[in-house]
Amino acid sequence: MFTTSSKFYVALTVLAAVSFGVYMILIGPSSIGATALFGMIAVGILFIWLSLHTRDADTDDEFASGAAADAPSRSMWPLVGAAGALLTLIGTLTTPLFFILGLIVVVATFVEWGIQAWADRASSDPAYNAAVRAKILHPIEFPVIAAIGLGVIIISFAEIMLAVERSAGAVLFIIVSSWVLAAGVVVAIKPNMRRGIITVIVVVGSLAIVAGGLLGNASGMREELVKAAEEDHFMHRECGPEKDKYTDKLALESVSSRSAVVATVEFIDGKLVAREQGVPGERETITIPRSNPSSIIFRNKTEGEFRLLAVTGKTMVSEGVYEVDEHCTQLIPAGAEQLLTLTMAKPTLEGGEFYLEVPGVEGQRVELVVP
Amino acid sequence: MVSAGQMVNRLTPVLRRLKFLPLVGFVALAGCASNAPQDTWAPEGPNAQMIDDLQKPIFAVAGIVGLIVFGAIAFAMYKFRDRGQPIPEQTHGKPVLEITLTIIPALILTVIGVFTVRTVFDLAKTSDTEMVINVTGQQWWWEYDYPVQEELGITKPIITSGQLVFPVGTKVMLRQTSRDVIHSYWIPKLNGKRDAVPGRVHLNRLEADQPGIYAGQCTEFCGLSHANMRMEAVALSKEDFAKWVDQQLADYQAPAEGTLAKEGETVFLNQCVRCHQVNGLKRADGTPAIAAPDENVVSGAAPNLSKLMTRNTFAGAMFDLVTPECRADVWDASRETFGEKYLAGVSEECLNQTDLRSWLRNAPEMKPMYANPALLTSTGGKYRGMPYLALSENDIEKLVAYLLTLK
Ligand code: HEC
Ligand SMILES: [Cu+2]
Repeated sequence: MFTTSSKFYVALTVLAAVSFGVYMILIGPSSIGATALFGMIAVGILFIWLSLHTRDADTDDEFASGAAADAPSRSMWPLVGAAGALLTLIGTLTTPLFFILGLIVVVATFVEWGIQAWADRASSDPAYNAAVRAKILHPIEFPVIAAIGLGVIIISFAEIMLAVERSAGAVLFIIVSSWVLAAGVVVAIKPNMRRGIITVIVVVGSLAIVAGGLLGNASGMREELVKAAEEDHFMHRECGPEKDKYTDKLALESVSSRSAVVATVEFIDGKLVAREQGVPGERETITIPRSNPSSIIFRNKTEGEFRLLAVTGKTMVSEGVYEVDEHCTQLIPAGAEQLLTLTMAKPTLEGGEFYLEVPGVEGQRVELVVP
Repeated sequence: MVSAGQMVNRLTPVLRRLKFLPLVGFVALAGCASNAPQDTWAPEGPNAQMIDDLQKPIFAVAGIVGLIVFGAIAFAMYKFRDRGQPIPEQTHGKPVLEITLTIIPALILTVIGVFTVRTVFDLAKTSDTEMVINVTGQQWWWEYDYPVQEELGITKPIITSGQLVFPVGTKVMLRQTSRDVIHSYWIPKLNGKRDAVPGRVHLNRLEADQPGIYAGQCTEFCGLSHANMRMEAVALSKEDFAKWVDQQLADYQAPAEGTLAKEGETVFLNQCVRCHQVNGLKRADGTPAIAAPDENVVSGAAPNLSKLMTRNTFAGAMFDLVTPECRADVWDASRETFGEKYLAGVSEECLNQTDLRSWLRNAPEMKPMYANPALLTSTGGKYRGMPYLALSENDIEKLVAYLLTLK
């Protein structure tokens, strides 16, 4: 009466039911645990019913194809799957990387093995079965294998480049790329060349690179990189006091200047220091172009929280009553910076009315003028 | 013997084939124009020189390659022309030839590329800037403002339009932007072009070896009057530039009571101040007259007219503010006398009365500007350009007298 698989599900359901009882009594009801275990019971019952109803999806013997009776083809997948499972287990104990790798192997095993088993039963003709398998799996296998292969080559090459001296690296790069180009040219000129020769060229070339990579990995990174790595991170030189050869190029053409920054105002140890793009030295007056949105970068370099305030004249709110026009940044701590964008449609005619200051600090003003 | 009739018959097809010859001739002749203020082959400053040093050899290389290619085509066309012979045997591919013909151009382009990239980087240099001018484009004129730079005597910001005045032998950084659509600033004799893009500041470099006026025009299509959006860069010797700065910073001189110009000032206050700023101009109640172009013009700006008569073009350098004789006197002046003549500005005798009056009478008729308020629903009632103001001839008379005092 009970089919093979239904026995399994009965066992599972009973186990779940017992766990549910123990859990509710001993550990105390929590909605998550209860839902999970109860869901398991429900699913178990559903599967018992399904497997009984379909009789394990077994065809009656007289309808089974001849192929189904044959022994399945030899397969490495059980072994690979087991290795994958082991890897996941190791991963849970050591690093997540192994866990993920193991998971990938397990999933790959399921896909490969499942389709293999299915294809083996497609007919009694092994050649046809192989073709069926290929049709489904090759579109997946080829790109994956190519990506892995390329990845290995790239990582190997990177290992080589990390190990050799800088200038030697450039020479090496030229040599390797010339060889690749040369091989490509040969193949292009003689498309009818024997496949064996091409295979040999590719395999030998790849092996050479992989071997070089292993060697490079063994001998370690070149000294300057080791040193840079020791000093925390590779980028540190870009942020040092001295000019960096690579990253400090065309500072005035960087994003910030393009986005209409007219001036940089720093509050250094209680002093306002203003600089204007293209004009050397500190400025007492900053010119804001008329009717153009113009940004001022404000940096606080003084202990405490400060903001930059721009006073841009006054507006009459009612007869004889004026209100000062103010624009300001937020209050920012030392080390922070903000952008203040002003669009001034009206010119400043007599100076002294438009200015920048830090509220609460006396005697530090930068005049603003609009032509 | 061939009769004349036969002769004509034979020649006709030949002549018919040559009908494009005059066109080619014109193009060739245009290359010889002597009055070519925007000639890209005649650099007059270090930046344009750098470009020229690059483009001449490249042009030569391209020319030689072009000649070879055209020669080969002509030869093949002639040698293998259809004489009814059978179609020759067809083959596919010739790897050696194909590879050679790929490698040779690649090498040529690599060499050109190296020099080009180097020049591009040299041109982008800004670290040795000696002076800054903000250049703002809008439909359809350019505004220039000079930030305060005490070292150059600019103690208050200067603002002008149409003509950009700068000292010779000085590395000037232009900070370019736009108030409406994308424009492009190009003075061919001084440097390459660079776009002026709203919301961004693009840097450009201007430097001239000799005093003089260098012409250019907007090179990014920007609407109806794009072709009328010109600019002139006026290089003055360092001494003359200092004088120009003093001129620009000089205080406003109100016209004397009872003169026609004084009446013109009143008309100006009533009609023009809502768009045009004249620094120092005061209303009858003594408060400064501050223009509000942001409330009346789409781009948010109209030319500042404080020193109108110190420039000699107007409306995007489309019209001359001086008569043709006086213009020639300045443009054709020798290097030594040019500065003095330019600084003299526009005198009453030299003023181009015709164009200035026509402009005041009906500006949109002089320069296409979408200035008709009836068509302005999409701009919220703001004008694009200067509108028709329905001024009386009497008012125009007064205004011209007043504008003449703006020096
Ligand atoms: C609605 C705004 C507006 C009003 C009002 C107005 N203008 Fe204009 N005006 C402009 C604009 C915009 C331009 C630039 C047009 C161009 O060059 O395309 C201009 C250009 C000019 C120029 C040429 C300036 C130069 O440097 O190129 C003069 C001169 C001028 N206007 C005089 C006047 C006078 C005089 C009045 C008063 C009768 C007046 N305008 C009223 C908007 C206005
Ligand atoms: Cu334009």
